[in-house]
Formats: sequence, C-alpha cells, structure tokens
Amino acid sequence: MNLAQQIINGIVLGHAFALIAIGWTVLLGVARLVNFGHGQMYMLGAFITWFAMSAWGLPYLVAIPLAMSVGVGVGYLMQRTMLNLTIRQDLVSVMIVTLGFGYVIEGAAALTFGSTGQILDTPLSLMDIYIGDIWFTWQDIAIVVVTILVFIALKYVIENSPVGRRVRMVAEDPKLAQLAGINIKRVYLGVFAFEGATVALAAAMVAPRTPILTSMGFEEVIITFVVVVLGGIGSVTGSYLAGLGLGLFTAFFGAYVSSAYATAAMFVVLIAVLVLRPGGMTQKMGGH
Amino acid sequence: MTASRLRPFVLPVTAIALLALPWLLGGANVVFSACVIIAIFAVMSYGLDVIVSDLGEVSLAHPVFFASGAYTTSIASSRYGLDPASTLVLTVVVVLALAAAIAFVTLKLREFVFSLVTYAVSVVAMTVAANWAFLGGSDGVTGIPAFEFAGFRALTDRQLWPLAWGLLVVVLYLVSAFRKSRLGHAAMTVHLNPALARMSGISPEIVRMKVFLVSAPITASAGWLYAYQRAYISADVLTPYFLILMLTAVVLVGRRILLAPLIGVAIVVTQERFLSYGAYVDRIILGTLLILALSFLPRGLYGLVVDALSMLRRKKSRPLDERQEV
Repeated sequence: MNLAQQIINGIVLGHAFALIAIGWTVLLGVARLVNFGHGQMYMLGAFITWFAMSAWGLPYLVAIPLAMSVGVGVGYLMQRTMLNLTIRQDLVSVMIVTLGFGYVIEGAAALTFGSTGQILDTPLSLMDIYIGDIWFTWQDIAIVVVTILVFIALKYVIENSPVGRRVRMVAEDPKLAQLAGINIKRVYLGVFAFEGATVALAAAMVAPRTPILTSMGFEEVIITFVVVVLGGIGSVTGSYLAGLGLGLFTAFFGAYVSSAYATAAMFVVLIAVLVLRPGGMTQKMGGH
Repeated sequence: MTASRLRPFVLPVTAIALLALPWLLGGANVVFSACVIIAIFAVMSYGLDVIVSDLGEVSLAHPVFFASGAYTTSIASSRYGLDPASTLVLTVVVVLALAAAIAFVTLKLREFVFSLVTYAVSVVAMTVAANWAFLGGSDGVTGIPAFEFAGFRALTDRQLWPLAWGLLVVVLYLVSAFRKSRLGHAAMTVHLNPALARMSGISPEIVRMKVFLVSAPITASAGWLYAYQRAYISADVLTPYFLILMLTAVVLVGRRILLAPLIGVAIVVTQERFLSYGAYVDRIILGTLLILALSFLPRGLYGLVVDALSMLRRKKSRPLDERQEV
C-alpha cells in the first residue's frame, strides 16, 4: 500500500468524519442533548439524495438542498415531540426517544427505498484524478472544501453573530437565558433542525464513497461519538481536528491491519480517551 | 379473609394461570410459540429493567449480554456437546466476566456518556460477531441440539413452554427479591440522590458494579434459552431490534412495577405475531410506541389507566347537583 495514498485517504475520510459529526458537536455543546438517531438521519439524507437523482432525475446540486430540507424537517419534528423532556433536561428519556426515532426512520426508509444496497453516484464521484500512483476523485476534493467552509462559517456564526450569542447563552444557563428574554424552545428547535440539515449535507457529500444501505445508521453513529469525545464537547475546532486524526487512524488501520475491524478500533480509541481523559466528557458546555 | 391474608397467594396463582395460558388460549402451535418468545424476551428485558428502573441509568449494552448467552450456549452445545445445565453455568461465567469488564470501564461514567459507551459496545460486538470466524462470522452457529436434560426433551415450542415459564418465574422472583434486598435499596438511593448515598456510607461505584453483575446474567439466561429455541444463532441477535424491544418493554407500562416488562413484551410480540403489517411497518410501530410512551406518558400505560380510573371515580363521587351544573 502506498503511504501517500493512505495519507490522502485519511485526510478525505477525516474531513468526512468531521462533517458527519458537526451537528452532534453543536447539539451536545449547546443543548447538552444527544441524538442516537443521528446515524439513521445520515442514512436518510443519503437515500433522499440518491432517490432525488435516480428516480426524479434531479441534478446533484438540487438533490443536496432537498435532502437538507428533509433533514431540517426530521430534526424539527424530533425536537418538537420531546421538547418537554429537553426543557426538563431529562437526558435518559431524550436518549431513548432519539433511539426510537432512529428505529422509525430506519423502518420508514426500508419501506420506501427497499432494503437492498444502492450506489449513490454523483457527477463529481465519477471524475477521477491521478497524480502518479495517487488516486482520488473530485468528490473527495468537494468533501474537504465543503467541510472546511462549514466549519469556518459555523465558528464565525457561533462567535460573532446574534444567533450565536443566543445559542451560547442557552448553553451557559438555559434558565437564566430564558429570564434574559431568550426563547429557549426556539433555540432547541433550531439546533435540532441545524443538526438535521448538516447530517443530510454530510450524507449527500460523503455517502457516494461507499454503497448505501438502510441499515447503515446503527454503526455510523460510532464515528460521531468518537469525534465528539476526542474533540471535547461543543468544541468546533476540536471536532475538526479530532475528525482529521480519526480519519488518518482509520485509513492506516484499514490498510495495514483490518478494514472489517475499523469500527472496533475506533471504539478502542474511544475507551482509551475516556480512561486517559475521564474529565474530557464533562468539560464545560458551549465551548468553541 | 382480608386482602392482606390473600396477598401471599396472588403471585403463585398468577404464575399457575400464566402456565395454563397457552392451553386456555386454544393451544395452537402459534400460541405456544408466541408465549415462549414472550417469556424469553421478557426475561431479557428484566435484566435491563433493573438498570433503568432501579439504578436510573440506560445501559445499551444489554443486547450484548443476551447475545453472549446465545453464542456461549450455541458454541458450547454444538461444538463441545455440553448439556443445558453446563451451558447455563458457562453462560453465567462468561457474561459475568464480560459485565465486569464493561462495568469497570464505565465505572466513573454517568448519564449519556455511560449510554454512549454501552451503545458503542453493542455496535462493536455486532461487527465482531459478523466477522470473527470463532463466532461463525456472517454464517452464524448452526447445529444446536435440542434441549435435553435429565430425561426431559424439548423439541417444539409446546415442549419448551414449561421451561420458558419456569425461567420467567425464577427471574420474576429474583427481581422481586432484588428490590427488597439491601442492594436494591442502595441502588434506589444512588438513583435518587448519589450525594445522600455517599453520606450514608454507600459507594455508588460499587453499587453500580454489583447491580450490573446481577442484571447481566438475567439477560444472558434469556439468550441461553433462545439458542435452544431457535437452533441457530448469528449476529442477528445483536440487531437494534432487541435493544429497542427491551427499552420499550421497560418504559411502556411503567417503571418499578414487577409485571410491567412482561406486559410490555406481550403487547409488542402479540402485535408482531398476530397483527403484523410486515416487518418494516412493525418496526415503525415499535419505535413509535417507544417515542410516545416516553414523550407523552411519563408514568407509562399504568399511569394512564390510574389517571383515567381516578377521573372516573371523581366524576361519580361528585354531588348530583354539581354534576347537573356541568
């Protein structure tokens, strides 16, 4: 295996991981909430993009915002259903409800799209680039560029815009933020809708790299877990760096050890981080 | 005879009625099959019930305990010819080691971080089971012999039913005894007020470890019987279905009610077996039940029934003229 090829694979994979996890980073950092249906929302985004392109013949650039709109709708509906639990900060129930949503999404997707695997080809994924022995596609370049743009935009919005200020206030103290006139329900709904949009964007960008299955969500969420743990809760920059590090680790592990056990290896990393940095998951929320 | 004098007879009578249930429902093979599955899945759920209802945490690793029971039994019986009593002992030993390892790693983790790590354990276990040749890889383990012990042989669900019922009754007794025990009381104290627990000399970490070690073999024992019932075990036993079913069973009827997980499983399995709309729609129904129970019925179906009854009683007890005014 070519070392330079693995570095390229790792960088692309790392940006893909960071993009998949960004919604979760904001969700956990701002609302101190978790979404165990994240993987199924990723799967749904991939299938909406595939369906829009293959069944309706829509161009890729139209299919992406369509998938994101569905993501916004699903995220909003999820949070609307469990808004009382969120405001009570009943995390145990929120976790289980999101697991339930994930299961419903998986059932609905299998019912609509069938349970056989599909290939999501985009105009960019079919265009190869060769530089010596190194191979990648224009889709890979798009993943890196879009991830960097999303992270820069998010960091700017959280740190410099009025929306970001309101969101940070809720992260700091929801009750006091409410007393200061912030509509926390709207912030929670917005954060979940944002998560839905970003995970659908990630799916539309990243899913062309592998075959898509309606059952893939169960495993997909592990990547997000590890990125969020490595990056530190709510840290946008941390998530980016963690995604990149994990991407390189996965690429090398897959190439030199075993691709079948890549998820298991990620889990070992997760455990190692939790054991070595037990305070890492309890650090202050709303960091950036 | 007063109600308190009758109380000791309630559980034995209920248990015997439960044993006779498949015959009372007509005795068809499908009824026996559903009853056996309900008993096995209820036992599986009671392990999680102890963690969720008593300890107040959500373990998402319980499908792994169920699967470890099923895999241990299937491999030990099909490859090494062990009898059911030996496979049960081996199942308990294996799952205690596994639960101790998971509990040790997650000792200091709470709430969503604990759930997150236990969820990861389930996902990783599934990839390991699907890829590791020792566990049969994607083909799974076949050739599990019929349940045969001390002259008792169970080939069909009808023959397995007394065994499944017996396991269920034992587990009901264990859970009930746990709730009355010092460990059960300590678990509730840790659940309701960890600071108070420490003040009273209880170590939350040790209590969590002990409860985990009580709970895991309960769920694994369901896997033990499931291996004999199914005669074939693969990575399917780690699919999210089992996790969602367990969680739904625990929260649907109400928490800390002894028969609640059994009734919860019975509702779900009855729908799947007798009122099925196809596997995908059934999934949507199961997930929706879970969402609705937690979002809109915080005290479960039991709370709903109690509220409805008290509302009816209030209406009846209201004076006539007041009712007429309304």
